Amino acid sequence: MPVRIVNLKVNGVEQAFMAKPETTLLLALREQLGLTGTKRGCAQGACGSCTVLLDGAPVVSCLVPAVTVDGADVATVEGLADGQALSDVQQAFVDGFATQCGFCTPGMIMSAEALLARNPDPTSDEVNEAISGNVCRCTGYAPIVNAILDAAQRRRRRTGSKEAAL
Amino acid sequence: MLTDVHVPDDVPAAVSLIAAGGTAMGGGTSLMPWLNDYASPPTTLVSLRRAGLSGVHLGGSTVTIGAATTLGQIENDEDLNPVVRSIASVPVRNLATVGGNLFAHQPHGDLAVALVALDARVTLFDETGTRELPVEDFVTAERPAALVTAVAFDRPAPGTFKYLKAARRRFNSVSIVTVAATITESDGLVTGARVALGGVAPTIVRARAVEAALIGGPLTEATVRDAAQAGLAEIAPADDAYASAWYRTRVFPVHLRRALLGH
Repeated sequence: MPVRIVNLKVNGVEQAFMAKPETTLLLALREQLGLTGTKRGCAQGACGSCTVLLDGAPVVSCLVPAVTVDGADVATVEGLADGQALSDVQQAFVDGFATQCGFCTPGMIMSAEALLARNPDPTSDEVNEAISGNVCRCTGYAPIVNAILDAAQRRRRRTGSKEAAL
Repeated sequence: MLTDVHVPDDVPAAVSLIAAGGTAMGGGTSLMPWLNDYASPPTTLVSLRRAGLSGVHLGGSTVTIGAATTLGQIENDEDLNPVVRSIASVPVRNLATVGGNLFAHQPHGDLAVALVALDARVTLFDETGTRELPVEDFVTAERPAALVTAVAFDRPAPGTFKYLKAARRRFNSVSIVTVAATITESDGLVTGARVALGGVAPTIVRARAVEAALIGGPLTEATVRDAAQAGLAEIAPADDAYASAWYRTRVFPVHLRRALLGH
């Protein structure tokens, strides 16, 4: 069975590893690179717990054979904090008790980061759409939606964008 | 079991790998769940991610979309936005491809329903060269053994393209009834109608009886009700986890009305 070397830039760091045909991006992150923040839920693309940013776009990493994305830029939940300082989205999840069991949290946060990168001032309906591929069985979603809206406000305030003045 | 994954750099290389027994893969959103979870026969994947098939080209009023373009990449298209946003979720749409959607089994494949209504063409490539086929023929008959390289459609006149997908939830849910149509009117009468249905049969339905009933009359609740009645002969819904055949039949006229009249 052919094994190939795959190069990825993960959270800004160049990485190289050996991938078998069945090595998905999810398995490579978790088992080869030790980045276990990204969770394996359904392996069907249905639960969203393995969501990472692939060249900036959120994808379900369980459906991506690693060898197909050789050379790509990948962002995972481990890359968000600056030392001990959590990102706006992470801190809003903590403050708003939007985690509970925590299994869906990394995927939720990556979907939220992708949303806020393209839309700094989303409505709650836009948040619902952005996380519609991320399943949570604990929270009932309301604390998560509120945390993402809160994070958006924190970020606008911090960056002093025009939206913050409104 | 996956025996190998190839990532060819161009279409001829992809076609020879497929001819040698490989399975073409767009975004993998149908194939990978199956390969991850089930005892599949030995499978060699040919990923189209780098085969040069991504991108949208506007030539006059014709929109040509490369087969490996993701649904996420066409989300902001003026006509296809409501269609794309009705399909799956953001992290799936960023993998799922336009070409791959033509292979989705009903009740999936809402983009293909819209493309049938838009009278889109699919470009196929094999060792004999390139040819075009109506998307309608491609998705309603046995698919030819050739690589899908692009789909193309002519921009509909403003306001003539209608789309509605009824599902259990507003986002990320499979079709119960999908209606896509292009309706042209002149002097208050329907002069042209092309209606495609999803979720209501084993394959996408080109609803010719609905079209025939609409053409020549005004677009009103009464004419749409009569057209839906005619359409009942063309649909053959199934029971699944999302809705029963009975329910799909019952609500088809409602969603046809909402799609065509907006209420």
